[in-house]
Amino acid sequence: MEAPDNSGEAPAGRLSSDSRPTHSEDGVDLTLIRWMLSLTPGERLETLQSTVRSILRLRDVQSGS
Amino acid sequence: MSNPGPDFLMLLRELAERRVDFIIVGGVGAVLQGAPIATFDLDLVHARDPENLERLVDGLLALDAYYREHADKKVRPTAIPLAGSGHHLLMTRAGPLDLLGAVTPGWAYEDLLGQTIEIEIAPGLAVKVLDLAMLVRLKEELGREKDLAVLPVLRRTLEERGRK
Repeated sequence: MEAPDNSGEAPAGRLSSDSRPTHSEDGVDLTLIRWMLSLTPGERLETLQSTVRSILRLRDVQSGS
Repeated sequence: MSNPGPDFLMLLRELAERRVDFIIVGGVGAVLQGAPIATFDLDLVHARDPENLERLVDGLLALDAYYREHADKKVRPTAIPLAGSGHHLLMTRAGPLDLLGAVTPGWAYEDLLGQTIEIEIAPGLAVKVLDLAMLVRLKEELGREKDLAVLPVLRRTLEERGRK
């Protein structure tokens, strides 16, 4: 997932500025992981559903439906 | 017509309310444990004792489940095939649902039960989820491209959880 969708109900803006690396050596965005870990499991599920629905909406727009 | 997308919470609630014994494996389980990945279906390993299969089929009926590969005929899942170790790729009114009799041979419900954690995803709704470390191990064993592709994110999620 490139970027979680914050347009749904899941709380956003919990990214903190700190000195930790933003990416791992193999290129994984660690800030996204830290953000997801800051959420409750229920919020993580809401984020996933919002993300998937956003992708599907974009696909619908592309296909003209 | 636009696709409303999956409703994982509805799927899980319908099954949990009927006391169906299952373990969440795959992407949704990883997300519940903090991995920032996307998945479009819910993968569950179900217990295959007759009582559980009866509850499961009841839940699938309520979810209007049918096999995705026979979408035009709407073939409904029944207890006998669900008692086997195979994979059942279903569509429901709450989105795609994959039921696995076993992930691979030797990794059925009873084999995985000791590697699960219980997570409350909504008030009064707790579900069993395959522990992230075990999910990483399984994906390493499976070794398919789609499993290998997600492994870096899962491994880094495990590390970040360890630092918390």
